[in-house]
Amino acid sequence: MMKQFLAVLSLVALLGMAMAQTNIEFWYAFSDDARSGWIQDRISEFNEQLSADGKDYQVVGERKGSYRETLDAAVLAARQGTPPHLVQLFEVGSQLAVDTGIFEPVGNVGGGIDLSDYIEPVINYYTIDGAVNSIPFNSSSPILYINKDLLEAAGLDRNLVPETYSDILSACETIAASGIEAKCIGFNLHSWFFEQWMAEQGAPLVNNGNGRDERATEVLLTSDAAKNIVSWIKNLNDNGYYTYTGKLEDWDGSDAIFTNQQAVFHITSTADLGNITAATKEAGFELGAGKLPIADGAERNGVVIGGASVWLTTGHPEEELEVAKDFIIYMTNTENMVSWHKLTGYYPVRNSSVDELTAEGWFAEDPNYQVAFDQLLETIPNQATGGALMGSFLETRTIIEEAIQKVLNGAEVDAALEEAKKLADAALADYNSNF
Amino acid sequence: MRDHAVFKSRFLPWLLLLPSLIILAIFIYFPALQTFVLSFYKSNLRLGTRRFTGFENFYNLFAGAFAPAYRQIFLQSILFSASVVFIGLALSVVLATFASQKIVGARVYRLFLIWPFALSPAVAATIFAFLFNPEVGGVNLILNELFGIKPRWLDTPWLAFMLVVGAAVWKNLGYNIVFYLAALQNIPKEYAEAAAIDGAGPIARFFRITVPMLSPMTFFLLFTNLTFSFFDAFGIIDILTRGGPVGYPPFDNAGMTTIMMYRVFQEGIEQGKSGFAAAFSLFILTIIIIITVFQFRYGSRRVQYGDN
Repeated sequence: MMKQFLAVLSLVALLGMAMAQTNIEFWYAFSDDARSGWIQDRISEFNEQLSADGKDYQVVGERKGSYRETLDAAVLAARQGTPPHLVQLFEVGSQLAVDTGIFEPVGNVGGGIDLSDYIEPVINYYTIDGAVNSIPFNSSSPILYINKDLLEAAGLDRNLVPETYSDILSACETIAASGIEAKCIGFNLHSWFFEQWMAEQGAPLVNNGNGRDERATEVLLTSDAAKNIVSWIKNLNDNGYYTYTGKLEDWDGSDAIFTNQQAVFHITSTADLGNITAATKEAGFELGAGKLPIADGAERNGVVIGGASVWLTTGHPEEELEVAKDFIIYMTNTENMVSWHKLTGYYPVRNSSVDELTAEGWFAEDPNYQVAFDQLLETIPNQATGGALMGSFLETRTIIEEAIQKVLNGAEVDAALEEAKKLADAALADYNSNF
Repeated sequence: MRDHAVFKSRFLPWLLLLPSLIILAIFIYFPALQTFVLSFYKSNLRLGTRRFTGFENFYNLFAGAFAPAYRQIFLQSILFSASVVFIGLALSVVLATFASQKIVGARVYRLFLIWPFALSPAVAATIFAFLFNPEVGGVNLILNELFGIKPRWLDTPWLAFMLVVGAAVWKNLGYNIVFYLAALQNIPKEYAEAAAIDGAGPIARFFRITVPMLSPMTFFLLFTNLTFSFFDAFGIIDILTRGGPVGYPPFDNAGMTTIMMYRVFQEGIEQGKSGFAAAFSLFILTIIIIITVFQFRYGSRRVQYGDN
């Protein structure tokens, strides 16, 4: 009798606790265990802190598939009146996210947010109409990966770091002539690189101040900057210097080409530095890194930050949003960004984290990480490197990639780009006409 | 013959049909009506916007900036469906005829032939993706060993197209064979025996007797295979090629393995243009209706129902 009574009593107590506790939902997009495990660890720490402070809130993290699926899930949930509090969104979805109207700029919540510690190019990207919309979380940019052993085998200086398109071409010429089996360069066919090469030349991707002064109405795919990029790729391809898996946006496939020593040079995200460094150790060759090679004669403007940030949704009580914001600031604090960077290779987005890593001697230990940092820190903040905003970004990416694929199949650069511009403009006009 | 005296009341048949009609109304007729209405709106799934634009979606489909892509996709879809249906049915008739011979182990052969039917399109496509991976796939390992070649199955335009057709045919083979095997059991042996006595060889018997006697089944399978190739091949395409790669002119306006249904998915779900996707699917519906009418009008004349 007593036992039963106690059991019922504890059940009631448990229920009471569960009722009193408000869940703060955080939807994120990482599907691998290492990254989502890291997020879950931060959530547990934060929840412990919350209960120690006697607050009746609890953060609940949930994987929602790809970035696109996460955005869709959040939008649908918001339309049904049950939005999550926090959503991790990719950078190219920024304009779309603003246009859905379900997000609250983080600067408007509570006392706003102290931005002084954030790396400038990162904040530059996520500032839209003068307001910081979201808190940067995982940020990256593309760099050049080099197989030093193959360079030497081809008769080149093993410490060679090509800076420009023509540097790459002349290295490729030597490599092809040397008769080694590997191709000169491999990178996956992704519009992201094209966008970076535009920014490096200081060229906006869309009009109206790269879509930041006003809604963009035109995609600038026939500019000289655009032609420089595609002509270079055509040149590499026609001379047999270039290789890729043939699939669009095939990150893993192109990494495999490089780590299997089928290419001397490789271009991919700094976020892969961790994985590739490990793979090269296993394959037994020395890895070098360089800044992204740029068009000849252009001033190095720097890169557009890629990756994702965390957004707050509207329609929640002020207090819940405050807790949500506090969690994200906790997750991206100095110490956590250091461990995040070491785990993945994503940039720690805070200056204080960079200082801490430097003090630890992290960069001296592996200078390849230093290269990635220099590239970001030396970026000139302007509208081109701030990154383009357009609602039809995802369609534009496909259009650009298919245009480059056409050029690889033998089409003329000018004609392919003109056609692509027509399509991208039409897609953008179609998107804009929703309003 | 008038034999609907079975039902005394005029309402009873409707009452009995009611459960089916309710389900059809909720899941088929009402969504179809909504699709029709939606096709006249500019509507975006993510933005939640919706505005009446009349025939703009249809204009964009036939004459907009992306019209060349849609034309290519239309042609490809027809080519794809025709290939899947004809290769699939021809192969199935032949295999089913072989499998219905009285030989040792016939039941085992039949079982293996029916096997792919049990797989979902996604699983079938995954198997193909592994087999035809250019670097590590079993097919290229063998080809490389024998001939020293490693064809790039997934990104050489026509090769990718043929691979997707092959995967779709293979996936549906089991289904077709099951039906043909059943139909073959029902063909009276006398016809073949009589023909044999008259001096017809096995090939003549196959084309003059088996194929015509199977025509009612072929007529039925034409529909199911057509539906499969138009709609259910989606899973195979999504996993094997995601609609790519872009072909050589004049097939350079869209991915070579993008069929209409796949593009509807890309526009409607991936890009959130629900109004346009509705217009596009109405277009597909129209094509299906035309083909069906055509088939009933001209196809059914050739069907041999044995008894009459």
